[in-house]
This record gives sequence, C-alpha cells and structure tokens, in this order.
Amino acid sequence: MRALANFYREREPAILGGGFILSLILAWQSVPSLVSLPQGISLFFTTPVEVIKAFHQLVVQNQIQSHFYVSAVEFIVGLALAILVGLPLGLVMGRSKILDAMLDPFVTAFNATPRLIFLPLLILWFGIGIWSKITIVFVGAVFPLLINTYEGVKNVDRVLVNVVRSFGANEWQTMKTVVLPNSVPYIVVGLRLAIGRALLGVVVGEFFAASRGLGYMIANAATNYKVDVVFVGVTIFMGLSLILTYFVKKLESRLSRWRPETAKNF
Amino acid sequence: MVPCIQASDVTLTFRPKDREAVTAINGLTLEVARGEFVSIVGPSGCGKSTFLNVLLGLLKPDKGEIQLNGKRISGPGEERAMVFQEFGLLPWRTVLANVELGLELKGVAADTRRKRARGLIELVGLTAFENHYPHELSGGMKQRVGLARALVTEPEVLLMDEPFAALDAQTRDLMQTELLQIWDRAKKTVIFVTHSIEEAAYLSDRVVIMSARPGKVKEVLRIGLPRPREYEMRLSPGFNEIKSRIWSTLKEELVTRIGGDGAQR
Amino acid sequence: MALRDRYYEHQRPILGTVSVIGFFLLWEWLLTSVVTVDPFFLTQPSKVAAAAKELFLGGAIWQDLAVSSKAFLWGFSAAVIVGIPTGVFMGWRRRAEYTLDPFFTALYASPLVALAPLLIIIFGVGLTGKVVLVFLLAVFPFIFNAFAGVKSTDRLLVNVVRSFGGKEKDIYWKVILPSILPYMVAGARIAIGRGIVGIIVGEFYAASEGIGFAISRFGDTYRLPEMFAAILVLMILAVVFTEGLRKLENVLAPWKIGQEAR
Repeated sequence: MRALANFYREREPAILGGGFILSLILAWQSVPSLVSLPQGISLFFTTPVEVIKAFHQLVVQNQIQSHFYVSAVEFIVGLALAILVGLPLGLVMGRSKILDAMLDPFVTAFNATPRLIFLPLLILWFGIGIWSKITIVFVGAVFPLLINTYEGVKNVDRVLVNVVRSFGANEWQTMKTVVLPNSVPYIVVGLRLAIGRALLGVVVGEFFAASRGLGYMIANAATNYKVDVVFVGVTIFMGLSLILTYFVKKLESRLSRWRPETAKNF
Repeated sequence: MVPCIQASDVTLTFRPKDREAVTAINGLTLEVARGEFVSIVGPSGCGKSTFLNVLLGLLKPDKGEIQLNGKRISGPGEERAMVFQEFGLLPWRTVLANVELGLELKGVAADTRRKRARGLIELVGLTAFENHYPHELSGGMKQRVGLARALVTEPEVLLMDEPFAALDAQTRDLMQTELLQIWDRAKKTVIFVTHSIEEAAYLSDRVVIMSARPGKVKEVLRIGLPRPREYEMRLSPGFNEIKSRIWSTLKEELVTRIGGDGAQR
Repeated sequence: MALRDRYYEHQRPILGTVSVIGFFLLWEWLLTSVVTVDPFFLTQPSKVAAAAKELFLGGAIWQDLAVSSKAFLWGFSAAVIVGIPTGVFMGWRRRAEYTLDPFFTALYASPLVALAPLLIIIFGVGLTGKVVLVFLLAVFPFIFNAFAGVKSTDRLLVNVVRSFGGKEKDIYWKVILPSILPYMVAGARIAIGRGIVGIIVGEFYAASEGIGFAISRFGDTYRLPEMFAAILVLMILAVVFTEGLRKLENVLAPWKIGQEAR
C-alpha cells in the first residue's frame, strides 16, 4: 500500500494529466450506451472507436496518404520560404535603424492582422492550386519569424557588442559572434509560433481553395456529415502540431545549453 | 622618453536623440608611463568609463586626442584590452571559447589559439573549468575568465572598468592580490577605474581623482607604498592617511554634484 | 543644424510616414502610368479609397461589421468568463494544474480551426457557430495567461503583506491582482487575434453577412477595390486593438513582464 502511494506521489502529474485525458475519451466512447441520442444529434455524433475505424479505412484506401502529401508539401515549402525571408529581414531590420523605421509600420500592420483575410485575394491571384496555400502559409509564418529574429537582435547586450568590437571585430564578425548566437533562442520561439500559423494556413487554405489535402478532406467530410472523418482530420492536425512543437522544444533546449536552468522554460 | 599613454584635452559630448546633450568629459589631460598602474576614481557619472571607452577606441573624442606610444588612437587595437565590469562573457561560449575570442577575431589558427588560451586559463587557475559555461561559474571565476580573455592577445595596456565591483568583499580582496601578482609578472600598463578608494590606494602607483561631470583630472596622487604590496599594508596608519586624502578631495566633488543635481530640478 | 537635430529626434515617425505614403504613391503611379494590369488582378489606391468611401457612406460595411462584432463579442466574453477563473484555479491548486494542463496544452497547440466545418454544420451558419468558434480559439490565451499570472505572483510579496498584518483580502487586491493584470491584457491581445481568425474563417466558410463574408464575396465577384477596402478596414481595426492593448500593458506594468506567456 505504501509502495503504491509512493508510486502515485512520484508520478502525480503524469497520472492526473493522462488520467484526465483518458477518462474524457472513455466518457465520450460510452455516451451512446448510456443515453439514447435523438435523431438530430446522432447525425453529428461519433465515438473514438468509429474515428479509429474511419482512420483505418482511409489508410487502406490510400486516401490519407495522398491528402497528407499535398498538405505536407504546402506546409514545408511555405514555411521554408518564410524562414528564408523572415530571418535575414529580421536581422537587417534589427541592425539598420533606417530600414527598421521604414518597414516597421508595414510589419506592425500585417502582424496585427490575421493574415487569413488575404485568402480570397490569394485565391484570386494563384487559383486553387498548391500556390495559393503556399503563399497563405508563407504570409502566416513569416511575421513571427521576422519579429522574433528582430527582437533577438535588438536585445543583444551592448556590453557584448563592445567586447567583440574592442577586439577589433567588424560588422560581419559582430553579427557572427554576438548578434546571431544571441538571437537563436528568439528565432526558435519564432519558429514555434510560425509552425502554428503555417498549420492554420494549411487547414484554412484547404477548406476554401483545394481539391486535395487534409483540410479539404475535413471540409468535404463535414459537408457530407461524415463526422468520423472530420475527427480523423482534426486528430491528425492535433498530432502533427504536438509532434512539431515537441521537436522545436527539444531544439530549443539543445540550443540553449548555455543558459541557466531557470531561463530554459521560456 | 615618450609616455605610454598621453591624453591631451580630451572632450566628449553625448547627444542622445530624445534627451539633452551631456558633456561627459571636458579637457581631460593625463600621462601614464609604461608599466604603471594608475587608478581613476571620481563621482558617479564623471566620465571615467567614457574615458576608458575612448582609450579602447570605441568612442571618438570631439576634441583632443589620446596617443599610445606617440601614435594617435583612432579605433580598437591589439595593444589594448578591456576587462569589463559586468564581465561581458558570451553566455553561449565555454570558458575556453570565451578566452579564445580575441585571437579568433584576429584570424589566428584554431590550435594556436587553443594553446594560448589554455595557458592563460591556467594562469588564472581555471583549468578544471575550461569547458564550463559562464552561468555555471561564480562571479570571481567569471572575472578571472574576463582577465584571461583580455590578456590572451598580449596587450601592452590593460583597461579595467570597475572589474571587481560586482564581486563580494572576500572575492574582491582575493582578486586584487591575484591581479597584482599577474601585473607584476606580465609588466602591463594598467588603467583601473573603480569606485573604491581603498582599492585604488592599495593597487596603484598613482590615483587620478576626477571632478564631477563634465569630468577632468582634479588631482593626481602618487601612492608611496612599497611594492610588492601586502594585504597588511591596508591596516597601517599611512594607508589610512592616503585614503583620507583621496576622500577629502573626492568629497568636494560629491558635494558639487549633489548641489548641481538639485539646481537642475 | 537645428533642423537636423529635430529630424534625428523624430527620425522614426518621419521615416515611417514617408515610407507608407511613398508605398501608396508608388503603387498608384506604377498602375496608372507604367504598367497596365488586369483590373481583375490588381487595383490601385485611388480606386480603393473611392470604394471605401462608397462602402462607408452607402452603409453596406456597417451592417457587416455589426454582424461580425456581435459574434466576436459574445465569443470573446464567454472566453473571458470561462478562461480567467479556470486559469486562476489551475494556478492556485496544484492538482488542478496537473489534471488540466496536458489536455489544455494539447488543445492550445492544435489548430482548432479545423473544427470549423463541423461546428458550422452542427450550429448552422448563423450566430451560434461563429460564437462557439471564437470562444474555442480565444479561451486558451486567457486560461494560460491567468495561470501564468497566478504562478508568477511573488510568494515573498505575499509574505510582506502578511507581515504588515494584511488580510486575505489585501493579498488579493494588493499582490495577486496587480500581478495578474498585465498577463490578462497580454492574453486579451493574443485572444483578439485568434478571435478574429474565428470570425473570418466562420464567415468565409458559410455566412450570408459579416465582414469575412464581404471580403470573400468581393473576391468571388472580382470587385477588387471593395475587397481591398474591406481588408484595409480590418487591418486598421486590428492595429488599433492590438497596439492599444500593448499600450495598456505598458501602463499597467511599467516594470514590464518582458515575455509573453505562451
């Protein structure tokens, strides 16, 4: 009995947290056997087991794979473009007062606005092929990357810049030895936010302008009242964001070995 | 003989964007001989650190100039190195990589700089910690790294900007003794900025007392204590007399400064 | 010299204004005098301004804004009412944190917008579907910011107030509330952005009115000046809200919390 109590005490967060999620799923599963749902609701109702069955079905039919492939390409290309543009621009804006002053109004305005409102425009420009989604992913992801890189550059300790300059470092060496390393933790935070925005772009972009992709699959299933398929899609997106977030956090702690323990959580 | 450092009529005014211009130093003239240990004391904001930054070559004076070995200082150079008050260690670099910094920026090959950095890490007694990150070190250890880093490029002149201000009293005493030993061996010219009268008196050949802002040299005091300095000297009546002489000169400036601040409001 | 000093004093706003005005002038000039672009593809600022005037004076946009605002306010208020107590509770009770944190973290990390089609077929294209969507997206920033606010309350300060004979009430008013407040404003700023996403997606997906519907309808009918005008209105609103809240944050927490909770 004591051993059991100790076991619980040591793992209390995991047991409570995992237990809660597990019991939610169980409760969800047991709803139909506890109450009989009226016609109007049962149309929109599904259970975890049915979702798993639907998932299995879609895998067998090779549907998930092809939808996933399209979404993945949009996500990766859009995010890669955002990194290629956001990081250098953030660095330059952080180091040049003039460019900063000139670009800041645009960055602030676009960052405050949910970029999804540009979707109709992007559909008009790029059609419903892959490029409208790549661009919506791009405009979603580029600003968090840019702004966090900028913050990292701006928050460089003046003393450290003076240290390397006192050793005769030029602008490029200052960038390499102080500004960039200092920005890395900020950039990783930016990446974490950017991944969220990019996924949002994929989902919503595919809702409205696609004939393939997981977002399309969800929207299409909803129209046809295939609630289990909707949940398959939603679960995949949830899983993807959790996995990606996990890896970015890993990256974060790996890249910040030099930071004191207390600062790592941020 | 040409003095090692010759500052003549150095004047520098800061012009911040959103505030009024501030003249930090005004007509500062000072000569320092080769191998001399000179401390600078003065009221807060009197431009001591500004003067060090001009010496380092990070700031350019509006008027006047500083010569080093008869040549005008126009930017950072390897004859000078600074030990910073807040240590200024790059937090993402290990002790070894921090000490290597100056050589790395000069483009010295990796194995050479590693060897030289290790030698200096040994000098400051941190060999066991060369792969530690700064946040894993105590304040005293961090400043030892700062000192090793400054020495690695073999500068002639060591500039020290309140290097021990962030340390506790015991560590500070220890570091002062170590600094004197290293200075004695390496024969560097040292310009040492401090707030502590005792520290200035104990370490230096001469103590420069600066006036309140805008700073210039108010008085220079030669410290007659024999070398090598011993900790016990601090307890002697002679030492107390030196301290009180510095203090009485400094006090006038502190009073001026407080009065001046009051008038501004 | 004096003029130059003046310029340096206000360099940022001057350069910012110049570049924004320059951008619109260049855009106008390029499209009227340099290249001819299909008007179904791109339009110029003068036409957008004319369209904006028409939208506002004709009154069409007000109705759309009112519809969207109503859904937004309902969802947002629900998020505040549910989110803040939940977050405070999680910060206060260790077991509540252990139990709820993994579940909420998973939901917060996920693109919950993916549920939009389902919510809309369940609740219909009217108000309710959008309200639920806004609530789902906006509630988590409040939960996690209230949580972080409580967690960040300095135990030392609690003891200080106690040591001066402060009661529970004093602790709440003098320590906990000031600690949480800046977090709440930061939470609200994030929640506003997410709430607008909810409205937009809901109205893109299925609606007959609202600002999101207006934008997508203008797109479908190739009325570019109107579409740009509507987008511009939304951008201005978003900037006013988020920058206003940022200012408020600085007023409430001049010592600056420095980092956003998640």
